[in-house]
Formats: sequence, structure tokens, C-alpha cells
Amino acid sequence: MKYENGAVRKRMAFDRGMEAIGFFIVSLLILVVLSIFLFVIGNGLSGINIKILTTDGNTTSGGLFNAIIGTWLLTGVGLTISLPVGLFGAVYISEYSNSRAGSFLKLFADLLTGIPSIVLGFFGYLMIVVYLRFGFSLLAGGIILAIMMIPYILRISEISLSNIPKDIREAAYALGADKYKMILRVLLSKAKSGVIVGSVLAVSIASGETAQLLYTAGWNNGLPTGLTNSEVGYLTYVVWQGINQPSAYSHQLAFAAAFVLLVMILALILMSKYVQRGK
Amino acid sequence: MRPKESATERIFHYFNFFMALIPISIILLILAFLSYYSYRAIIYNGTNFFTSYLWYPGQFSRNPIIVRGILVPYGSSFGALLFLIGTLLTSLIAIAIALPTSLIASLTINLYVPRRLKRLSISMLELFAGIPSVVYGLWGILVLEPLLFRFLEPWMRDHLAFIPGFSGAIVSGSGIIASGLILSIMILPIITSVVSDTMSSISSSVKDGAYALGATRWEMGKYILRQGSKIQTLGATLLGLGRALGETMAVLMVSGSVLNTLPDSIYSPINTMAAAIASLLDSAFIDPTNMNVYALTELGLLLFFITMVVNIVGRTIVGRGILRGYEHEI
Repeated sequence: MKYENGAVRKRMAFDRGMEAIGFFIVSLLILVVLSIFLFVIGNGLSGINIKILTTDGNTTSGGLFNAIIGTWLLTGVGLTISLPVGLFGAVYISEYSNSRAGSFLKLFADLLTGIPSIVLGFFGYLMIVVYLRFGFSLLAGGIILAIMMIPYILRISEISLSNIPKDIREAAYALGADKYKMILRVLLSKAKSGVIVGSVLAVSIASGETAQLLYTAGWNNGLPTGLTNSEVGYLTYVVWQGINQPSAYSHQLAFAAAFVLLVMILALILMSKYVQRGK
Repeated sequence: MRPKESATERIFHYFNFFMALIPISIILLILAFLSYYSYRAIIYNGTNFFTSYLWYPGQFSRNPIIVRGILVPYGSSFGALLFLIGTLLTSLIAIAIALPTSLIASLTINLYVPRRLKRLSISMLELFAGIPSVVYGLWGILVLEPLLFRFLEPWMRDHLAFIPGFSGAIVSGSGIIASGLILSIMILPIITSVVSDTMSSISSSVKDGAYALGATRWEMGKYILRQGSKIQTLGATLLGLGRALGETMAVLMVSGSVLNTLPDSIYSPINTMAAAIASLLDSAFIDPTNMNVYALTELGLLLFFITMVVNIVGRTIVGRGILRGYEHEI
């Protein structure tokens, strides 16, 4: 098309220019995120082997077995604690409270994600490790991870609960169900996929955390022997310590740990997308 | 109509109520513990905490002394000015980079990216939020820092030296620029997800109205999308700021963790409140008077207070929490 008006042509050209700049910036960002993944995958793949995955290590020698199991145990304890809190907290907000109290409670749940990770870990040290005398342990680290996992589970469960149409509640009442039976048997089965998505996301984020665990879980060259007063190793610690040490092998361990972490997190994110689609 | 409440019903009701109260109880517990463990430090440090940048643990081999009724290690000084400056500076740089980038990215996604690629490009940007902060630190040490040290920082010194703070010695890649850049990458998905969501929720009749008046796509974006998401952008920026202020591991790994030296240029190493707590707490445990732990608690209390205020305001504006760009999952 031909434009007679110079001003219009100028505006159209400006639009094209901004389109080019915009595409450049978005592509650059995508390139950066992909380069971070490729950087970890490339360096991690070359250093990873069955022996590293199956032997215990101490961030400068050995393998990652204790760290992998430790990360699973810590997030497992975290999920065990945060799931009932998040789920039934969501039930209260969606089914029992009025909307003002509900948004007040939701605000505080959201604030839990805003606590700086090291402050949360420091609090865990002061209260759980020292005051409750749990020591550096699975339970101390797990409770602290649970605190940061609660909001993800609570918020996503709450949204799936309130998306359930009112008719379904009325139908359950019409069949003579008590409210708690209606919630436990009808609503929770309907909201299942939302609860799973929230839990999977919470686990994926918790498994990448470090600062919360530095002064609550500690580090263990083997596996913990109990819930309290027995330190636990975890993958993010290997990444942090390994890269700060001079030896080539500790760098290899750091990359292997980062690789295992990213694979776990990507798998969890894909899993949550899959559950969501099946909803 | 509601069925009659049975005993089981009442127990279930209270159980749920108790669970819903846990988040607020945790916040209050944190506040209580941090306050209790820091009041001695608050008395001892006084205003020195905000005006001095000297952080000395003191000499544990000498007998502790009593200052203002508090037992403290001989020769100790807990001035947090360096950490305050570092936190503020790195967070501001992060916002200064992330905010315009997020705005342009959101506008591009909403104006120019073809509909079938829109979901994909948003998912790609969301991947940023899934990367753990130690992995950002790892990447920062081995990729970003060498790039800064060899190329960007010398270029900035040669060409931008007329800006105050842009001339000075380049010691290594770690420091203010590396921390600010890493933080900007980390908060980018938070701001982008909120802003681009708000932009795509703007009613298409308004957008069509702008086009009907002869606006180009960019003009529509500038006058309708950007104006229409202004408040949400502010809220999202605050949520991003809250995250940048409290981010620990990535900054700890690329900041240079300097102590007792104020930065003299933008190339200097730095330290932040969060990184200082993480790196100093280990050695604070050996202080027999515990004052080193109390002083770090004071730092933690201040950081907690600042991030909570920023988050409450941001959350109130945006109307949802900082779910690190995961809001789309819902």
C-alpha cells in the first residue's frame, strides 16, 4: 500500500521499529534462559555418571547419593507438613470464612512467599534448632521448607475450590450430606488436580532452595539417622560449596548437582502442566 | 439451606480454621523471635547500626566488656551501613533493568507476537522462575562475571566515565553490576507475568477503539495497554523489589562479599543484608557472648520488616501474591 501522508508513513515505520526492538529483546531473554539451561546441562552431562549418582560424597570427593536422598527427604517432610495446612486452610477460606476474613488470611499466606529465604532460615535456626532443640536436622529443615511451600498449595487449592460451581454443593446437600462430608467427599475430589498442581510446584521450588537450609539442615556426608539432631545433606549445598572450591572434581560435582536439580525441577514443572491439562 | 451442625462438623470447622490461621501465626512467630533475639543488639548498637559501615566481631580471646548493661565482645562494632547501601543499590539496579525490559517484553507479547506463539513465549520466560538461585549464582560466577570483567565493565569505564561512579578500578567481575544484573534476571518473570497478564485482560473493545481511530499497534500499546496497566506495573515492581531485597544465594555468590569497605565505583565488590547474614552467621556462633548472633538478628529483623512492608503494599496493589511468575499454572 502507498501512503501519501508522510506523518502516517513515519508512524508506521516507528511501529515496525518497535516491533523489531521488541522481538530482539524477547528473543534475547529466551536466549539467556536457554543458555543457562544449556550451560548447566552441557557441563553437568559430561561430569555425571552412575558412580556419582550412587555413592555418598562430601562436596569435594565421592558422589551425590546422600545429597539427592537428602533433598527428597527434606522436601518430603516439607510436603507432609505443608499439604494439610495448605489444603484445609484453603477449605476454610473457600467454604467457611466470609470474603473479608478470607482475603485477610490469603494476604498472610502470600506474605510467606515474600519472607527473605535467609531470614526464614535464621528464624528456623533460632526457634527450631536452638529453642526447640531439634538441632540441625531433617525436621528443622523440613518445617522451614514447609513454611515456604504452604502458600503455593493454599492459594492454588483455594482457587480450584472456589471454581467449583455452587450447584455441586447444593446437590450434595440435597442428598442429605453434612457439610464436612460434602467437602471431604465431593469438593476435595473435584479440586484434586488443583491440589496436585500446587503441591508439585511447591516441591519444585522447595527442592531448589538453599538459604533456608544452611542453618537448619546443615550437611551430612552420609544419610541422616533420624528426624531430629542428625544433619542432612542436600543438592543445592553441593552446588554452592563445590563451585567455591578450587579442585576440578568439586566443580564437576557442583555441575552434576545442578544438573540433577534442573532435571528434577523441569520434570516436576512438566508434571504439573500434564496434571493441569488432564483436569 | 445449610444442614444442622453436628459435633463432627464443628470439629472439622475448627480444624480448618486452625489451619487457615497458621500463616499469620508464622509471621507473628518470626517477628517475636527476631525481636527477642535482637533487642540486646538494638540497645548496644544504637544509631551506630545505621551510621557506621564497620562490622567487627570483636576479640573473643579477651574478656567481654559491659556496654549499656549488655555483655559484648571486646572491640566489637556492628555497623550495617555497607549492607544497607548494598541491598538498596543492587535492588535499584535490578529494578532499573528489569522494569523497562519487562514492559517491552509484555508489550511485544501482547502486540506483535503471533497468537500461536504467545503461549510458548510466555512459557519460555516462565522458565526463568524455575531456576534455583544457586544455579543463577553458578552461571553468574562462570559466565556472567568473566563477560563483565573482560568486556562490559572495561567498555563502560572507557565510554561512560563521565557518569559519577562509572570510573574506577575493575578488580574482578564480582560486585555491584554482577549482583544487580543477576537480580534483574530473577525478578523479570515476576514483573513480566503480572504486567502481560494485565495487558491481555484489557477489553478488546477498547483496543479496537484505538485501532478504529487510526492508531498503529505501538500507539495502541502505548496509550491503551501501558496506561491501562500502570497501577499493576507499580505493584508488580514492588513485588519484584521485595524479592530483590531478600535474595540471598545468587547475590552471595557474585557480590564479592566485601566487609568494612564502602564501594568507590559501580565496579566495586559489595555485600547485602541477606548475603551478610548467610556468610557471617557461621562464625558468629563462636562468640561466647552471643552478641554477633544478636547483631545479625537485628539485620534480619530490619530486612524482614522492609520486605514485609514492600510486599504488603505490592500485594495490595496487584491483588495477588508473589508466586514467582507461577500464576499461570492456576
